[in-house]
Amino acid sequence: MVKLSLIEINLKMAKIVILGAGIAGHTAATHLRRKLSKEHEVLVVSPNRNYQWVPSNIWVGIGRMKPKEVFFSLLPLYKKKGIGYKQAKVVSFYPEGNSLETNPFVSVEYLYGDNAGKQEMVTYDYLINATGPKLAFDLTEGLNPGTNKAYSVCTYDHAGHAWDALKNLINKLKQSNEKAKILIGTGHPKATCQGAAFEYILNVEQELNRHGVRDKVEITWISNEYKLGDFGMDGMLMSVGGKPMASDELVEMVFADRGIKWILGAGVTKVEEGVAHYENLEGEYKTETFDFAMLIPAFSGHGFKAFDKGDNEITDKLFKGFMIVDADYTPRPYEEWTVQDWPETYQNPSYHNIFAPGIAFAPPHAISKPRKSINGTDISPSPPRTGMPSGITAKLVADNIIDSINKGAISLHHKGSMGNMGAACIASSGFGMLKGKGISITTYPIVPDYIKYPNSGGRDLGKTFGALGLAGHWVKLSLHYAFIYKAKMKPFWWLIPE
Amino acid sequence: MVKKITRFQKFVMHNPFIQFFMFLFLNVKILSVVAFGHGGTRDKK
Repeated sequence: MVKLSLIEINLKMAKIVILGAGIAGHTAATHLRRKLSKEHEVLVVSPNRNYQWVPSNIWVGIGRMKPKEVFFSLLPLYKKKGIGYKQAKVVSFYPEGNSLETNPFVSVEYLYGDNAGKQEMVTYDYLINATGPKLAFDLTEGLNPGTNKAYSVCTYDHAGHAWDALKNLINKLKQSNEKAKILIGTGHPKATCQGAAFEYILNVEQELNRHGVRDKVEITWISNEYKLGDFGMDGMLMSVGGKPMASDELVEMVFADRGIKWILGAGVTKVEEGVAHYENLEGEYKTETFDFAMLIPAFSGHGFKAFDKGDNEITDKLFKGFMIVDADYTPRPYEEWTVQDWPETYQNPSYHNIFAPGIAFAPPHAISKPRKSINGTDISPSPPRTGMPSGITAKLVADNIIDSINKGAISLHHKGSMGNMGAACIASSGFGMLKGKGISITTYPIVPDYIKYPNSGGRDLGKTFGALGLAGHWVKLSLHYAFIYKAKMKPFWWLIPE
Repeated sequence: MVKKITRFQKFVMHNPFIQFFMFLFLNVKILSVVAFGHGGTRDKK
């Protein structure tokens, strides 16, 4: 039935609906609009009115960038470029239509203005679900940005509030002889995004130095990683200065140099005013006090529901927390995981006109080795899916939809598995044109292929390397300007790779 | 035992002249790793 309707789609002009306007959603929308003729409709549905360049939020969190430098308003851009836009959130999916609407549609709800609370059916020929993760602060008791002295840098708003609190602490320390404790890391036993927390802790350390209060502060890294430098990617062996070095050695070296302590294998389960409660892999229940904390929450799916044409619930055909795509979800032990488990086209197997690039797809499993405490609590990182793979996967989904429209049949020629894709993690470790610092890490592939690269931790040592120094900060700053330029669709924006 | 960043390594890391060439190298290296060669994995199984 889906195939038939797709043939029909290609006889008329197509309507592509994109849910979400983050890195994946916006990338897909811009490429679709550039490559498809104006007769085809490209419509973005997102509750956010701004596009934000998330990787620069860490600089907002240390007061070295204003929030307005990391975001811009989407509506004027979309109006100018001919991209439709509805500021609304998706509520439920009807991939077969229903008794009121024969075409596939999503039910969306407006959040602002005169239409606030009003629901609408948005029909589509192709659907790109780029809704990203839900920041699941509620999964850790007491973890709510701005309360209990704990903050987040997951959005520019959160990062702005984090800076306000950090600034207050710095001012207080300047005017007194008091000591303080700062705790930065993961705020849930299964949290991911250790890279962002890693960048933030190093930037905070440098800012404390700049303000002359570093000697009054004890800085501690707390993480669900088994080893430093795991980053949810099972760590990596990389080439540093031409010599092989494990990521845990590199991070350990940097932390030791900057006087940062660390707590590993820690699953934070509860936050109270200035106190983080955690369980470690040995099964001990401990606490760590702080005067300022930045803890990354768990990520979860949005809890969308799906229904068939008879209004029967079919959520499990579309979602497994996040959206089901062409991954191999067969449960297997860590030793049997392969790169072939990871999706290549991000197409939903039940409805071939639905795709989920970026962070919206359900990963087949973690990348890091799963570990449990002796009490049975899962304490290990979930798989990270950062900006670069989000952009790459969104572009390949857009290209496959364009090919399908042009050829008149579903085409999945463009593929991009995270097991055959490189990524760069340019971690700023201090802001400043001459005093800045950065740790540049590239890794290939993102998901380690232990069969292809058995002697180098599953990765190609020629393409997996690390470099420390001022140049890394310049690279990160260049990427900030380049990607905001690209997102604003300025002349020749498409020449900048994802 | 934790490795240490040597004084020479710190000099290289903070020297703007050396780092300018490192900046050019990093851009080329990063582009070569991330911009090309994406694909599937299952054909190769």
